[in-house]
Amino acid sequence: MKRYIIVRLLYTIVVILGVSILVFVVTHMVGNPVNTMLPLQATEAERAALRHQLGLDKPLFEQLTTFLGSMVKLDFGISWWQQIPALGIVINKMPATFMLVSAAMILSIVVAIPLGILAAYKPGTFLDRFLTSASLIGLCLPPFWLGLMLVLFFAVRLGWFFTSGYGTLRHLILPTITLAVVPMGHLAQIVRFSMAEQLNAQYAITARAKGASETAVLFGHALKNAATSIVTMGGSDFGRLLAGETAAVEVVFGWPGFGTLIVDTIGRQDFPLLQAEVFFVAVVICLINLIVDISYAYLDPRIKY
Amino acid sequence: MRKGLQFLLILSLVVTLIAGCGGSSSQPTQQSGKEGTTSTATKDTIIIALQGEPSTLDPQFADDGNMRAVTDNVFERLLELDGKTLEPINGLATDIKSIDDVTWQLTLREGVKFHNGDPFTAEDAVFSIKRVTDPAYKSQIAGNFNTIKDAKVIDDKTIQIVTDGPDPILPKRLTRLDIVDKKYIESNPDKVATEPIGTGPYKVTKWNRGVDITIERNEDYWGNKPQIKGATYRFIQESSTRLSALKAGEIDLAVNMLPEYVSELPAYKTSDGIEFTFIRFNTLRGPMKSKLMRQAACYAVDKKALADSLYLGYANVAQGQLAKPGYFGYNDEIKAYPYDPEKAKALLKEAGYNGEVIELVSERGRWLKDGELTEAVAGMLTDAGFNIKLTFLSWQEWLDTLFNLDKAPDMMFSSNGNELFDMDRFYQALIKTGGPQSAYSNPEVDKMIDAARSEMDTEKRLQLYKDLAKIVYEDPFGLPLLNLKDIYGMSPNLEWEPRQDSRITVFEMKLK
Repeated sequence: MKRYIIVRLLYTIVVILGVSILVFVVTHMVGNPVNTMLPLQATEAERAALRHQLGLDKPLFEQLTTFLGSMVKLDFGISWWQQIPALGIVINKMPATFMLVSAAMILSIVVAIPLGILAAYKPGTFLDRFLTSASLIGLCLPPFWLGLMLVLFFAVRLGWFFTSGYGTLRHLILPTITLAVVPMGHLAQIVRFSMAEQLNAQYAITARAKGASETAVLFGHALKNAATSIVTMGGSDFGRLLAGETAAVEVVFGWPGFGTLIVDTIGRQDFPLLQAEVFFVAVVICLINLIVDISYAYLDPRIKY
Repeated sequence: MRKGLQFLLILSLVVTLIAGCGGSSSQPTQQSGKEGTTSTATKDTIIIALQGEPSTLDPQFADDGNMRAVTDNVFERLLELDGKTLEPINGLATDIKSIDDVTWQLTLREGVKFHNGDPFTAEDAVFSIKRVTDPAYKSQIAGNFNTIKDAKVIDDKTIQIVTDGPDPILPKRLTRLDIVDKKYIESNPDKVATEPIGTGPYKVTKWNRGVDITIERNEDYWGNKPQIKGATYRFIQESSTRLSALKAGEIDLAVNMLPEYVSELPAYKTSDGIEFTFIRFNTLRGPMKSKLMRQAACYAVDKKALADSLYLGYANVAQGQLAKPGYFGYNDEIKAYPYDPEKAKALLKEAGYNGEVIELVSERGRWLKDGELTEAVAGMLTDAGFNIKLTFLSWQEWLDTLFNLDKAPDMMFSSNGNELFDMDRFYQALIKTGGPQSAYSNPEVDKMIDAARSEMDTEKRLQLYKDLAKIVYEDPFGLPLLNLKDIYGMSPNLEWEPRQDSRITVFEMKLK
């Protein structure tokens, strides 16, 4: 197991390097931050001066090696936009997104898993069909639109919650519900599908024939066997949400998190900050994948690393 | 087992309900209007929703509208702009006079203190001027002051500014130069961006990164005491969310409301915005080189219809120039080309237009309904007989195309924001041969532009610009379209007249 983890961490470093270099090269070849930063009326002399100050007039290879040299020391430079160290900005914004994503995932799990189990247990009933359609609808609803609708109804008309902002539980509710809809849909479907598969398996029929109670079959056997699929789906959603998929919801609700940071960074072509964000996202996704893969060893005794 | 399942289901539903039914037990660490609006009797602070968070609170560094919404109340300038007439008036300087063609002398106001108690002196004024023009400081607004060569202290209350050649615009330039505390900046360089110290009617008390910025009235302010005791700025990027917040009573002022929201706003005010949209013609190459073709395009577009249908009337038709009354150099005798599609067709015929493809390039999303505007214009041009090929570029590509004369398309959508309210910048950028956005070239015009730039006599200077405006109107450099209005959503008990320079001036606001 230890060897496996070490090898995976080495792969993680390769992924981080590869992604960072790719983003660096593409943005430097295609982007033009100087034009974005200066007002439209700036003269060519002013543009050239800024280009020189930012080091953008040096050859690409030289810029790349300088950047890699600092990156290994975890120094991503100073954000062009905010004039403070780039990595610090990223770390500052993460807690807000982490809070939102965790809340949304917890909500999804708490709602989707029991309902998915129930639907698998009673296939073909109204509940089952309702759950399948509801989860499909949830997956198709644009989070942006859903968020705005919830705000209009619950915050403006009923006044139960705030329309936007950050800081208290009351601020958290609507964004969490909006964000949770898609993972809920994913989880409900995968739970229902995996559980149904397990409940009809040969070993389940045998267990029932041996006299095992339905609860024992459900929780003692089927759920455990379905666990790997569920954890995979949950982990994938969790990782992608943390990596910036929260952007639409964060913008609608004025939630000061990582998603809005990425949108702003790309708009402003702030390369140091962008590289810090890319690094962070690569680390988060690789780590989550690693944790999910390691969990297989505990969930499925057949898997040994 | 049924019981087990039922228990599970009920448990999960109960948890969901608890999570869903609001936390009145939550600690209100971040105050928001919801708790405050019910007791209006003692309300003396307001909440303002901006489009984004300031990148810094160092007013000399960036060209950032969100920052200025805060710093315009915290810092002051030697000269200020009158919100209605757009003329420079006294600020931290009580007198300005031109000693000779390149030297200006200013008398400074006495008895002014910075928020930390430091007195405002001539040293601070000179330091502020030198700092913003220092290349090592890398200010993004240094271009506004590129004519200033030197500044020096003459005595306690007098300074002189020396310009590089005659600069009649210097007073207007000074209305954008914030005065900072020399002692504070030299001893606290790391606090400059986050804990600003100015001389203004408000001081910044807290900046919760990502959440809000709070300002409070400066009780030692030298000037008129503002009515509003304090303000909190929140950052809400999405305009519909700002609207919801206003309707729910959570905020008192929301910037940049869309015309469609006006019927839903509890109260609102408008002012003319700074941006003028227009179509730039490539007058140097291609089919639009012909004057008749360009005039035909000007007659083909119904600008009033655009203002009414796309912006619900919240836009003014630009009168044949990218300026309006109040801008120095505005020619009030010029009117927009009237909408006359028959005349356009006739001009096209006279020009011998053979139906060749004319490229119209635009971008989408930077300015309100820019994509729709360009599409509507393309439609009108096509109806008049132009063979238009409309292309949308990404913002980066569009910027690239704008600044690169080799890539200049026949027609290009653009917008011009003139923050000094002086036409020199427009001519330098868009008309002069070789200007950064120019696809125009006329040596006579170039001479006039240079002459006007350094003409110190106001009357003569004005006449030069009026003549220039006429020339580039009759030999069109482009097709001026619309001047959009800024729409501010307000709560019914907020009193404020928005300014023509789009500054958010809390010190001019009152609560009923």
